[in-house]
Amino acid sequence: MNQISTKPDVIKPEYLYTIGNIITQATEWKPALDEISQLVHSIIIFDNLAVYLSDSKNNSVDVMYARAMGRGRKAEADVSWGETLANQIIACNQTILREPSPDPNQDRLQQAYMLGIPLTAQKNCLGAIIFIRFGGPSFDTANQKMAEFIAGQITLLIQCQNLQLEYQKLEVQQAQAQIQENFISTITHELRNPLGFIKGYTTTLLRSDTTWDQTTQQEFLEIIDHETDRLEELIENLLDSARLQSGQLKMQFQPVYADSLINTVITRARLHYPDLVINIEMNKNVPPIIGDPGRLAQMLENLISNAVKYAPNSDVVIEVHKEKEYACISVKDHGPGIPEQYIDHLFERFYRLPNQAPNVHGSGLGLYICKQIVQAHQGFISATSLMGQGTSFDVRLPLKS
Amino acid sequence: MTRILAVDDEPLYQHLYKVNLEKEGYDVVTSSNGEDALDMVTSRHPDLVVLDVMMPRLDGITTCERIRQFSNVPIIIVTARGEENDRVRGLNVGADDYMVKPFSATELIARVRAVLRRSQTSEQPTQSRYFVHGNLKIDFARAEVWKDNKPVFLSATEYRLLIQFAHHVGEVMTAEELLVAIWGSAYREDKEILWVSIARLRQKLEDNPHMPQHIVTRAGLGYLMPPL
Repeated sequence: MNQISTKPDVIKPEYLYTIGNIITQATEWKPALDEISQLVHSIIIFDNLAVYLSDSKNNSVDVMYARAMGRGRKAEADVSWGETLANQIIACNQTILREPSPDPNQDRLQQAYMLGIPLTAQKNCLGAIIFIRFGGPSFDTANQKMAEFIAGQITLLIQCQNLQLEYQKLEVQQAQAQIQENFISTITHELRNPLGFIKGYTTTLLRSDTTWDQTTQQEFLEIIDHETDRLEELIENLLDSARLQSGQLKMQFQPVYADSLINTVITRARLHYPDLVINIEMNKNVPPIIGDPGRLAQMLENLISNAVKYAPNSDVVIEVHKEKEYACISVKDHGPGIPEQYIDHLFERFYRLPNQAPNVHGSGLGLYICKQIVQAHQGFISATSLMGQGTSFDVRLPLKS
Repeated sequence: MTRILAVDDEPLYQHLYKVNLEKEGYDVVTSSNGEDALDMVTSRHPDLVVLDVMMPRLDGITTCERIRQFSNVPIIIVTARGEENDRVRGLNVGADDYMVKPFSATELIARVRAVLRRSQTSEQPTQSRYFVHGNLKIDFARAEVWKDNKPVFLSATEYRLLIQFAHHVGEVMTAEELLVAIWGSAYREDKEILWVSIARLRQKLEDNPHMPQHIVTRAGLGYLMPPL
């Protein structure tokens, strides 16, 4: 009745070559194991095959693969049988051959013979692979050698896949570290310049070995004043950006009327930039926005100062209208415009357009902060631009319902 | 009148240097990048160069290195606080002194005076930025090489080897000297590297690489670029 031919203790090399080939071609271990089990089924003869991997964090064992080769049993339903054995194998890191305990009540054909091999790489046991055969005979030495061979190969594949995942994680970490480093060097550079000018021009005025005429003194003092403002703005931006990153920027929401908001912003802008031409196109019937008036003003002032910096000599148009349940505020300039390939990056932290003139300073934080403020208001911000014609920054903020 | 070349990509720094140093009676010319600075060293013959390290495109250290290819003009490099590497590198490639930003006007003047005083006691020729040897021409400022007025593209090592010969025309240099000068003392014995590089240079520069006129072997002694 035993139809299984016992083979001598020799495994045909062809099987090893084919298995080796499957492994080297494979990118994932499960499909590879599918192929291998198909191939070796006639040699080892098993009914079920399962792979258990230990989860190093939980100290538990999970079944990661199960395959039924026929004889009418469903592998998925029975994998619990292997778990105990898998734990034992992992504990002692050795092959275990398990024969069923003689039970006169149990149908001999139901009795499970198990061959379990540890999946070990560099003395590290990742789990176990278990072959099960119902009704015997027990697995012989040749079977065991073949099974150990397969286990070794599969372990290599699993390790390879694990390493790939770790590598990808490291790449992400490295990208983030790079951004941090770029940030630090940009900020260092941006902060040092105003400080350098302030120090330079004050010590110039303080020189005891010479005097400066009134006009020159005035000129230097204005530079010092301007650079102090720049330093202050930069520090504020940095702090805001840090607070936004850590979720600490508190906003006080209340009804904000568009015309009042725009008026505040325009008044301040005219103080800072007396030569700037600002035109307003506002629909008077815009209902109030729900928002933090200070932060919304900050956001709009940022857009205006960008226009002054990057579209010098251009007028600025502020346009407000209602669209469904949103107030739409646009800040437009007629400056050089922004090339299309850069538009998607504008709101990224520390992003600055390439090829800026050396004396056009910026931390790359302004638009990032604008976006964060707008998003905190459940709103949207975007930019459109036409080269040579101008740029428009469009903000949509939800209205009080 | 003593002339100072101030190089910085920030217009406000250029202005700072100018107002302070002109008060001291110096003639101040400015440049905003390394390439222009190199041109100005040869065209305006400054007595001192104040050179910012942090510049886009050709950075200050490389500019300093290139100036030293053809000029001994005193150079003060200006670095950012905390960038000790820049100071060391600058001094290593031939700067005479350094200054850290932010600096005070009085410090600027004191350093300029000190460096000028030191340099006035010694010869400081500004050699030509061009070197000619037969049909071979080297532009030290741009690090370009021309043969028969056509550009020749050399690797960084090949270029360094060539200018070593150009700076020692008529002098025989041993293989060991060349290896240490170009590749470093760890390569002292690595004759193959030198042979290969010289062979490559000859291929690119000589009309007949087997009868070289620019890089000549002196059997048993070494190599030289013979005087013409």
